[in-house]
Parts: sequence; structure tokens; C-alpha cells
Amino acid sequence: MSDDGDVVLADWTHPVEWGKVREFARAVHDPRLGREPPVPPLTFPVVLSAEFIERFVSELLPLDRRRTVHGEQDYEYLKPLQVGQVIRCRAKVLRDEVKQGQRGGRMRLVTVEVKLTDASSGETVGFERMTAIEQEALTS
Amino acid sequence: MNAAVLPDPPAFRFGPITRQDLVRYAGAAGDFNPLHYDDAFARSAGLPGVMAHGMFSAGLLGSFLVAWVEDRRVRRFRLRFKSPVWPGDMLQATGSVVRSYQVDGGRVAELVLKLGRQDGSEVVTAMAEVECA
Repeated sequence: MSDDGDVVLADWTHPVEWGKVREFARAVHDPRLGREPPVPPLTFPVVLSAEFIERFVSELLPLDRRRTVHGEQDYEYLKPLQVGQVIRCRAKVLRDEVKQGQRGGRMRLVTVEVKLTDASSGETVGFERMTAIEQEALTS
Repeated sequence: MNAAVLPDPPAFRFGPITRQDLVRYAGAAGDFNPLHYDDAFARSAGLPGVMAHGMFSAGLLGSFLVAWVEDRRVRRFRLRFKSPVWPGDMLQATGSVVRSYQVDGGRVAELVLKLGRQDGSEVVTAMAEVECA
């Protein structure tokens, strides 16, 4: 359970590493690339949650990747991430529902939220929310 | 009114997108969904070939946002994925200030942003909240 009583799906820690921040900043062409220490790009939290998201999509739900698209991504930043920090990540499902699609057929919408806190101080640094949409399989 | 809150956004063009961009992003993000590097798998999903990660496009739009607002604090960045990016695509980003409002100790600007292709079609749309002195 989390502090607010919700069921936590996964709970892990991940360091904000110097080399990983630089590598990611280069991959997304962040204009601050080259600063020392490196500044984590706005979407860097995906690095912290990548292994969980892989397991979530492939094993826990699971979703068929051939029929699944990324619908939305939402970040709330309370404190800047910094190289050297260790981030505690706690994931919970905000939504898992089936809706009628606009073009006929049903679709499953899943939103997962990862709460990011500084592992040393316990201070909340932000939230990452991802929404995936799985289209219904075509039947002949 | 809003014009004084932030300078005009910089011109931001990116491309053509290459497979190297996709592979570099996959490694950096740790996202190895085969849709982004395996043509046979992508075709089995009904796609013409590999496509870029949505979060690669999101990352580019984030870089445009940072180039625009520089070291001002971003409070919120919310993105909607509209269409996939393919190798060869040329992308450009645009943005504008929707409104600004006073909060304790400063002003917050609400921005809309768009990453699009050269034909004008949308790739990612986003909103952001940025603290302005």
C-alpha cells in the first residue's frame, strides 16, 4: 500500500547516473547537453521506469504490442532530478478500462502512474503517467 | 500581455529521422520494443516498417521546450501522441503562450506545443506550465 492507501503495483529504486543522463540527453538532442553535471532532460524519468514498463506491458497486463499504441504521457515536476540522486519509484494503475472506439471495435485504456521520491530524503520529486491504448483484435 | 512573459520560441527543425536515431534512443531509454528496430515484426503489426518511439518524439519536443524556456522551471509537461514518426520524416516544433497567471511568488505561463511533419500533420501535441519571473 502507498501512503494514500492505494495498491502499489511495484516499488523499486533507480539511480540518476551521470553517463545515462548524458546518453539520454544526446539521444533526444537536449540543448543542455555538455553541461556539467549533466542535466536530466524533461522526459528522463522514462529511464527510471523502463524495466518496470517492459514487465508491466509484456507480463503483468499483458498487452499485445502489435495492437497497442502510446496515447499520452504526463509529467508533474516538483523538484529537479539531479545526477547522483537515487529515486524511489512506486507504480500504481490509475485506470484500466474498455471503451468503444470511434471507428468501431473496442479498446482497452490503461494508465499507470509512477511516483518519484528522493530515496534519501523521502521528498516527492514528481509524477510520471503513461497511457497505453490496445485496440481490439480483428476477428474474421 | 502574454508576449512579455516569454520570448518567442526558437525555430526548431529536426531530420530526416534515421534508423540510427531510433537505435540510439532505444539504448538510451532502455526501450527495446521490436516495433522500433525489427522490420519483420513491424510488418506483422501491419506497419510499413519500423517506427520511432513515441517517447523519442516526446523527447525532441521536450528539447524544443527547454531551448525555448531555458532555465525557467517547468512544472508540467503533458503530451498526446497523434501519429507515428517514420525514418525519413522531417519534423518541426512550434509553440505559443496560451495564458499566464499569478501564483505565490511568481507567474506561471501555460504553453501549447506541437511537433509536426513538414506536410503540417501532427506528431505530438503538448501543454506545459512554466514558471516565469
